[in-house]
Amino acid sequence: METAALKQQLKEQIIQFLNLTTVKPEDIKDEEPLFGEGLGLDSIDSIELIVLLSREYGINIQDPKEGRKILTDINTMVDYIEKHRTK
Amino acid sequence: MSRIVVTGMGIISALGNNLGENRESLRKEHSGIGTIQFYPTAYAGKLPAAEVPYSNQDLMNRISILPSPTLTRTSLLALIAAEEAISDAALSPDILSSDGTALVGATTVGGICLTEELFQDAQAESQGSAWVEQYDYASVTLAVQQRFGISGEVATINTACSSSANSIAYGARLIRRGLAQRAIVGGAESLAKFTINGFNALNILSTAPCAPFDRDRNGLNLGEGAAFLVLEKEEDLHGRKAYAVYSGFGNKNDAYHPSSISSEGDGPYLAMREAMESAGLFPADIGYINAHGTGTENNDETESRAMLRLFDQPPAFSSTKSYTGHTLGASGAIEAVYSVLNLFYQEVYGSLCFRNPIPSTGLVPVRHTDAARLRHVMSNSFGFGGNCSSLIFSSC
Amino acid sequence: MMFYFHSTICISPQAGFPGSHREFSLQEAVDNRLSVIEPAYAGIPAALKRRMGKSVRMAVGAALPLLQNQPAPDGIILATANGGMEDCIKFLNQILEYREGLLTPASFVQSTSNAAAAQIALTTKNYGYNITHVHRGLAFENALMDAYMWIEENPDREYLLGATDEISPYNHNIDRLAGWFSNTALSNRKLFGKKTSGTIAGEGALMTRVSNRSEGALGKLRAMRTIHSTDLNQVMESIRSFLQAQGRTYFPDLLITGEDGDDRLDPFYTAAEQLFPETTGIARFKHLCGEYCTAGAYASWLALEILQQQQIPDILVKRPAGSRQVRDILIYNTYRGLQHSLLLISVVY
Repeated sequence: METAALKQQLKEQIIQFLNLTTVKPEDIKDEEPLFGEGLGLDSIDSIELIVLLSREYGINIQDPKEGRKILTDINTMVDYIEKHRTK
Repeated sequence: MSRIVVTGMGIISALGNNLGENRESLRKEHSGIGTIQFYPTAYAGKLPAAEVPYSNQDLMNRISILPSPTLTRTSLLALIAAEEAISDAALSPDILSSDGTALVGATTVGGICLTEELFQDAQAESQGSAWVEQYDYASVTLAVQQRFGISGEVATINTACSSSANSIAYGARLIRRGLAQRAIVGGAESLAKFTINGFNALNILSTAPCAPFDRDRNGLNLGEGAAFLVLEKEEDLHGRKAYAVYSGFGNKNDAYHPSSISSEGDGPYLAMREAMESAGLFPADIGYINAHGTGTENNDETESRAMLRLFDQPPAFSSTKSYTGHTLGASGAIEAVYSVLNLFYQEVYGSLCFRNPIPSTGLVPVRHTDAARLRHVMSNSFGFGGNCSSLIFSSC
Repeated sequence: MMFYFHSTICISPQAGFPGSHREFSLQEAVDNRLSVIEPAYAGIPAALKRRMGKSVRMAVGAALPLLQNQPAPDGIILATANGGMEDCIKFLNQILEYREGLLTPASFVQSTSNAAAAQIALTTKNYGYNITHVHRGLAFENALMDAYMWIEENPDREYLLGATDEISPYNHNIDRLAGWFSNTALSNRKLFGKKTSGTIAGEGALMTRVSNRSEGALGKLRAMRTIHSTDLNQVMESIRSFLQAQGRTYFPDLLITGEDGDDRLDPFYTAAEQLFPETTGIARFKHLCGEYCTAGAYASWLALEILQQQQIPDILVKRPAGSRQVRDILIYNTYRGLQHSLLLISVVY
């Protein structure tokens, strides 16, 4: 899958998974931090996104600290998915 | 008004089936944390837990009179503990059924331990199992109410991990306000896929026995059990014994996050401070704290910070969750019972599995059972939803 | 008792108070459920709202307008019997679907009974007393008693008191299998006297600020009692003694009962009605809100509205009141014939 299409798909999946009903994919900038400012996600969301990576892309992240680095923004997530996906 | 005293206690946990056995295990530093034997979960053998080592049928056999043939494990544990407490306080059937006797229970699981049955009934895939009226939290308290014919005030509280600390305080307030003459107060909890998987999904369960306040701690272990205390006015003793005085209580909300405590431990600090103020005590009066001490990164650090904020010199403290695991809705009551034992027998219990202090706090818990001169003991329960409660008991 | 209700917000299956000065159209039950009409909830931050189940959303949505730009209450005292059950069962579904494998925790965290009280505290940074009562059909009445005890001991305090319960499809199934909701479609327009068991499910939330201040109050809680008994005579005796405790020949102007069309509970309501003279009017409310554990909160709200407006809407009336003035209202409700409550609410005096 092309990177641009993967980014779009990931944004849609994040919105659905985290029930971000007031957010559209075009509202999520690729380089905007997902946590803290930006989308303002919290620690429960970071766990949910790790589950999303497992269920949708077959990626298992064991270390939550490593997980937070991967989940910095859409770019870092897509980068990791492209390198490690098994689905 | 007359002081409120504890006249009876009953308890069942992984440490034993009654008060004597629980105390024995604590004194001998025998942990109840081990492998799950009875509860059907995929995590048996992978996650340590402090299970009460009896099947539901065994538990039923231990109860003299069953109020109903369909009772969840949570209700069975509650009945066993309540029966012991009532007998310990020598409450007669007439007293139990008088309108001056209140009952306040607590649980966070109730009948939700019956995962598959609940699922099937919820989907209406059958004619309805025998459990359709046993899933809710009140069913546990109502089992005890029915068994003993309690006709005074009856209540059930669910504030996650602080539930039964709050039920103890609520019962005491009913007595203080003249709405009850005595109160049977406590809580019950059983292992459930709901909580095992819930806490596991939050990454706060440890695959090893928990190490509260230890630098390398990495999570909690779940436990199950039940405990009830009988609270009465001292003037109603008429020669019966009293274990300890119920002196104070604090309930504050951390208002920070649904499942973790603020870094400076605001809720815990405020709850402990309120408990002391309500008891008319100063920090130096507290001889020992039965800490919430779950063994999670978040709780133990924030609870430590709160203790450092409140006490110039934090008193001796330990976490009995290193023996019983985290018994959730029952933990407030179970640990209140242990706190009363501390006072009655003038002893403290160690915090197992501790090796190195948390670097940023340097606090070291009591590590072994020891004699101690205690006048006031504090028991903490901090939980999800920022619900923080603290109880203080004092020697008579 | 020096206990007064101040501002209230009620979310129910009906569009407001059925006063007779304007057109009131009774919302009808669908599939034996009376579902709430939810407002827009402008005040709930999107980041929190996305996680909320219905009962938490209703509770937070009803509470925030009473708290924003107001002095903070000294505590938050809520009641819910099945709040969070929907999220609980969603989480159980995940457990079974993924066979206890890798699961998402959000619905577990939201499923705890105290989630609503916690979210209100979090959103308004309220560090005060925070508790959730869950005692089935007396959860709200116990919360009320909790608030009353604090105020009696500390007369300068004010509390946010409330209740919330939702009809989760899962919970509805469980209660239907237990025989409490009818299997055949019932109309809430023809709920009473049907001589069959089962009734219509309801849901709703109420939030109110309570204190011992009388100025500006909507009503006063004069007395209350809770009863655990299935013995009809014992319950009636308790109602009699409750009335006598208010005065030797005391009767309220209006009796509101929780009659819900379930013929197993009708005997309690019929016997209770007979304890009152013809001058006491009789009203019913469950055809408006349905049956649920904290329905007593809705009845309390109706009572406060009736006292404020000094009129008893026709749609509630079973027997007209003898007096034109409504000074006090006794609410008698039973949940499944074991738990009973008496709430005596009066005009402010």
